Amino acid sequence: MLEAENLETGYGPMQILWGITIKAEKQSITTIIGPNGAGKTTILRAIMGMIQPWNGKITYDGDDVTMLPPHKKVERGLSMVLEGRHLFGGMTVKENLILGAYTKQARERLDDSLEIVYTLFPILKERSTQKAGTLSGGQQQMLAIARALMTRPKLIMLDEPSQGLAPIVVEQVMDTLKKLREELEITILLVEQNVLVSYHTADYTYIIENGQVVKEGEPSECIDIQEIRKAYLGV
Amino acid sequence: MKKYIQPLLPVLTLYIVLLGAGLSIPGLWQPIAFIMFYVVLGQALNMFLGMTGYVDFGYVAFLGLGAYGMALAFSLFTDDGLGSGIIVVGFLMAVIFSILLSMAVGAIALRLRGAYFAIATIGVSEGFKYLIEGARLWGGSEGIIISSQLRDSFGSEMANYLSTFASDILIFAIGILAAILTVYTLHTRAGYALMALREDEDAAKVMGVNVTKYKVMAFGMSAVFAGLIGASAWTLKLTYVFPEDVFNIIYTVEAIVIVMLGGAGTLAGPVVGGLIYGILRYYLATVLPGFQLLVVAPLLVLIVTVFPDGVVGYIKRKLKGSRFSKYVI
Repeated sequence: MLEAENLETGYGPMQILWGITIKAEKQSITTIIGPNGAGKTTILRAIMGMIQPWNGKITYDGDDVTMLPPHKKVERGLSMVLEGRHLFGGMTVKENLILGAYTKQARERLDDSLEIVYTLFPILKERSTQKAGTLSGGQQQMLAIARALMTRPKLIMLDEPSQGLAPIVVEQVMDTLKKLREELEITILLVEQNVLVSYHTADYTYIIENGQVVKEGEPSECIDIQEIRKAYLGV
Repeated sequence: MKKYIQPLLPVLTLYIVLLGAGLSIPGLWQPIAFIMFYVVLGQALNMFLGMTGYVDFGYVAFLGLGAYGMALAFSLFTDDGLGSGIIVVGFLMAVIFSILLSMAVGAIALRLRGAYFAIATIGVSEGFKYLIEGARLWGGSEGIIISSQLRDSFGSEMANYLSTFASDILIFAIGILAAILTVYTLHTRAGYALMALREDEDAAKVMGVNVTKYKVMAFGMSAVFAGLIGASAWTLKLTYVFPEDVFNIIYTVEAIVIVMLGGAGTLAGPVVGGLIYGILRYYLATVLPGFQLLVVAPLLVLIVTVFPDGVVGYIKRKLKGSRFSKYVI
């Protein structure tokens, strides 16, 4: 579905990614984990086209999309939920969703999309006239995902959707992601700092350090749960 | 059609009232023309600042180049027997100059965001002033005076009419055109795109908005209107162009204050802002001569504390859900 090969990029003169190769199989949940500053967000931004890759190749659905600007990628069914949600806080939930369906093909299917996201997130329907900025953290994250769904994506990239959420809410978000995969057949590429969440959700995991993939595989293979317990909990 | 007409009604009514008052009440034409300049200046900047949220501190350069476009048309082509067509050529040159500048500035500065864009643009108008003065371009610091060419082209009576009356009418026309274009933009996909990009550029990108395209479009449109204003409110009206006048940063600051005071990104905002600011500025100049510019500072403080969305933004919020809400956008 999506493949980045030998991706290299950075900001200004500073190189962040040093030849990243990752793959997201159709209808799977792939996670990218790693410490702060490893380059996780940069991978997503480069794939989306928000920063230009210096080297390497990005293929999506069999096509080379390396140099396509973000809006062209959205048209092809790629979408992204930005870190920190980036909602239009002063607008209502519904207005956020309607703006989400900006592209032509999304606009044509607006009513249908609204129904899908309202079924998926009943709370958003209840709160549809409420200002997005007044929602709780979990609801805001739901709205951010819902807004990304309004573009009718085939693949969604999420940048740390669990950030700042209570564990129980994180679980809800992850359940939603699984639902997206099963019910809407959406491929998911997830950047996470929360290793345990990733462990329980992902089909495949990449561990990134200093802009390079240091380990990859199914979560049970590449994440040593004992080691994490030790590192995080000291037991 | 109705959705375009309804919000235009209050704005156009105001224009008609101002025009009528100016024409029928003796002595009122000059103040009204003075105020209209600020109204239209606000409308022009609003197309960029209001729609995108980007602050251009070099904005006056577009007015300045527009003024020079018109002046150059007169100083270059007066002997070519264009008749009154020379004004058309002048406006054309004003438009071309401002588009070229907007593309040059846009290509470099629009890659920057927020405060970085603002800082990068500060140099533009000052740069032009010193370039023209230093390189003795287009008459250097002596500027271009077109009063004799105006008389040669139109005869002294018509030339007089042009600078004391027709140039003001043109400002009204530019204002009406700007209002129509603003309403149209607000109701199209471009309007949604601009709204999204103003609120959050990254979010707009991942929603599929071609942010570069819309930023460049808004910048160019705003620049063209600034060029037209410079050409008629300065060159045709005053019949001269001096670099230190037409590249004076104070106009940029005034335009920003007007847009913020009225309500950025709204149709009626810059009109209301320009009206309030123009009236204050004109009558303070007679009551407290020399202090009129001081009004800018307290106004800015007032805006950010009391009306963060501007006067029209405030009214819009109050009217939300009522049947009048369609008239104020």
